[in-house]
Amino acid sequence: MTMRERGTENLIVAESLGKWYGEVIGLNNFNLEIKPGITGIVGPNGSGKSTLFKLVLGLIRPNAGEITVFGKKPWRNSELHSLIGFCPDYESLPADSTGREYMSLIGHLHAMSGAVLSKRIDELSELVGMTDALDRKTGGYSKGMKQRMKIAGAMVHDPKLLILDEPLSGTDPLVRKDLIDLTKRMNKEHGHSIIVSSHVLFEIERMTHDVALIYKGRAVASGDISEIRDLIDKHPHNIIIEGEGMVALAKALLDEEYTVSVAFNEGKDSITIQVSRPDDFFGGLPTLMDVTGSSVKSMYSLDDNLEAIFKYLVGR
Amino acid sequence: MDLKRITAGIVALTVHSTKKLLLSRKVVITFLVAAFVALVMGYAGTQGLDPLEDGTNLMDTLILFFFMPVMAMIYGSSLIRDEIDDMSITHVATAPLDRVYSYIGYYIPLVITVTVSVIVIATAGFLAFFTQHDIGAEAVEIYCEFAILIVLGSIVYSSLFLTISVVFKKPVFFGLFYAFIWEGMIGSLPGVIQKVSVKHYLRSIGSGWVDYGDMSGFEEATGFGDSVIVLVLLTVAFLVIGAYLFRNKELC
Repeated sequence: MTMRERGTENLIVAESLGKWYGEVIGLNNFNLEIKPGITGIVGPNGSGKSTLFKLVLGLIRPNAGEITVFGKKPWRNSELHSLIGFCPDYESLPADSTGREYMSLIGHLHAMSGAVLSKRIDELSELVGMTDALDRKTGGYSKGMKQRMKIAGAMVHDPKLLILDEPLSGTDPLVRKDLIDLTKRMNKEHGHSIIVSSHVLFEIERMTHDVALIYKGRAVASGDISEIRDLIDKHPHNIIIEGEGMVALAKALLDEEYTVSVAFNEGKDSITIQVSRPDDFFGGLPTLMDVTGSSVKSMYSLDDNLEAIFKYLVGR
Repeated sequence: MDLKRITAGIVALTVHSTKKLLLSRKVVITFLVAAFVALVMGYAGTQGLDPLEDGTNLMDTLILFFFMPVMAMIYGSSLIRDEIDDMSITHVATAPLDRVYSYIGYYIPLVITVTVSVIVIATAGFLAFFTQHDIGAEAVEIYCEFAILIVLGSIVYSSLFLTISVVFKKPVFFGLFYAFIWEGMIGSLPGVIQKVSVKHYLRSIGSGWVDYGDMSGFEEATGFGDSVIVLVLLTVAFLVIGAYLFRNKELC
């Protein structure tokens, strides 16, 4: 695992953290440091992302190890909540309240009131693009509107740290783009540190380069996305190549050191090749095509899904 | 944690939860019960009974004996549990308010709601019965005395059922057991055993005020002062236990 060293204080430090629910492991020997800025937490469903957030918020107590948030243990430490805003991945808006009433309740719970709170609600509703729907019952909101309102609710008290748990989940591409832009804006223009989770790496990449990968309750890698990419690139890749002259190309590929295996798919115009060093493969392929006189119509990786990458990172 | 933040948090939760409870579908139950009580007491009023004696007994039986714990159970036993189950407790659990204070922010609205509901039911029954007779100062006095007993009952029962709401995953089942078996049956048994019910102490306090009906001649009554002390201790004990458990509860 690589740790980021940016010379800034850690927002969150988890050391040998463990949390289990009966026989189900939520987090196990989990180590992670999160610094200010936007940090992406990436992992498949059930990897432990939400468990991590609950531990950060002090909603659950660790069974082992230690977690500190702003240097303090979060369990039974409600004062930390004035520094944190949380947008959960589940439905949490009171359906019988309007957006304004919901934000007012959160403001009041943070001892805000009067003109200050009203102004803040107006500002935030404009920021998340919910001004027109502010006085409608949240029960009638669309998925995207609910996500926006939850994000606005998490920001009412102007927290230092925003935790967005799967904010893009279940939203359409347009809403996704808006939410990604909004997340970046909240950090850039409003100075919030943000931790955002997703099970889709490329979505997180559009928001930040600081990423932690979680799999089966463990932080399997963390750091700059390029470091993660390097790790991923060392992972034996399965690539499908389709075109003409595949037999000659397959023979030539078998002579290369980086080739682990070559297999023909249905017919002789498609091969699946497993390579140990993808960079060398991609760099050398044009030469091999010239030498063998083959042509490639399409080429794609079978390892786009994170699951394969996580399995590799855990097993390495 | 500063007092301003604590007060603001409790007030915000109180306003929110009171509104939520009083505008919930459970209010329909209050009105149905009120209609039922009005029907029963209205019919009894036509039967040529002694208005003060029998009117008091009806209020005692229907309101204090039966619907008081039942309404507290209906509103209280699932208040916190419902919010845990539908995750709407998140905004409370992530507020900068110690959960002990959040618990108070649930308790106060529950007391208000139970009081309002039972007062509505009692008023419906009272009006249905006593308006058929010449309402004098005595009848108004009876109404006021029962109103005070309802407030006291709401304070005690709310603390009990809110604790149940934190302890049990299916609080309604335990609430039903308590309301019907414990309060309804054990609280009605003759002798010392009825002293393990809240109802006994409420009736004991009432026996010192109410001049009519069986309550006025409540032979097993505990002394007024002792009854007040027992109810206060019970309320405080339930609140402390409930708040402690809520504070240490994992919300996931």
